[in-house]
Amino acid sequence: MSAAIYVVNGPNLNLLGTREPEIYGHATLDDICNRCRAISEKHGFDLQFFQSNHEGAIVDQLQDAIDNAEGIIINAAAYTHTSVAIHDTLRAFPGPKIEVHLSNPHVRESFRHVSYVSPVVDGVIAGLGAYGYELAIDVLIAELKTNSH
Amino acid sequence: MAYRILILNGPGLADLRDDEGHFQRGLTLARIRDECARLCRSLDMEADFRQTDDQQEMVDWIAKDGAGFDGIVINPAGSSRAATVSLPAHLSAFQMKALLGKPVVEVHIENIFSDGAAGAQPMHEPEVDLGFVCGLGVYGYLIAIRSIAHRLHSNEAH
Repeated sequence: MSAAIYVVNGPNLNLLGTREPEIYGHATLDDICNRCRAISEKHGFDLQFFQSNHEGAIVDQLQDAIDNAEGIIINAAAYTHTSVAIHDTLRAFPGPKIEVHLSNPHVRESFRHVSYVSPVVDGVIAGLGAYGYELAIDVLIAELKTNSH
Repeated sequence: MAYRILILNGPGLADLRDDEGHFQRGLTLARIRDECARLCRSLDMEADFRQTDDQQEMVDWIAKDGAGFDGIVINPAGSSRAATVSLPAHLSAFQMKALLGKPVVEVHIENIFSDGAAGAQPMHEPEVDLGFVCGLGVYGYLIAIRSIAHRLHSNEAH
């Protein structure tokens, strides 16, 4: 079985492409999934692309990642700013993990300025739109390949 | 004509040390500069890579030279977790205008949030097209450059 990368998406990201496109862009989550999958498969990685509006389901998926994933990309969306549960589960994952946001939370409302995710990931990519996911996958794969040698 | 990118590095970045974490191995400013130059060449872009220990000098570079570039990468100060630079505080309204509509990406080598969010102050410029990358070592710069190229090329298409 090939090594897996888990991409985990939080609430409202299923509405991507229709919800406030001036902030979040016109790409749908399926578009993003397809681009991430193409990159992953090219490099021999299996991609598990997941979205849920439910905090507990996101925690379940991250627990699954602990057993089955080599690397994680997490966009916890609004739960970024509230969820201690997601923070705790991510903390337990030892491999490389990158937080992604379509927009840059730091130039938006102050209630988005604190992330419970950022302290327990390796890095953050924000404000680069849907392309940020592709860049995150590239970097994660580069890191996983470096580590495996 | 090739796009031009200004890559600015603030205080402390001349002296980088290796870190143990993911993404952080083998870092020197010279290696970062070389990898940025190589990527820009492959994207048919020109890079102007600078470092200063004087934050005012960095702000002056943005103010004086920013308008001549298509995109800007700013590492306000690599290792300092309290690193921040407030552009409007230092730039006149006229100078700020030179940055508007131009992709700008803030890059930090380390994860500035790893000790909790309290000490970290990312740039807060709602007027500027501002991306943010931290914790990914040299990759952060490469991501910033690629995202700027991507943005400039999609602007061309529209």
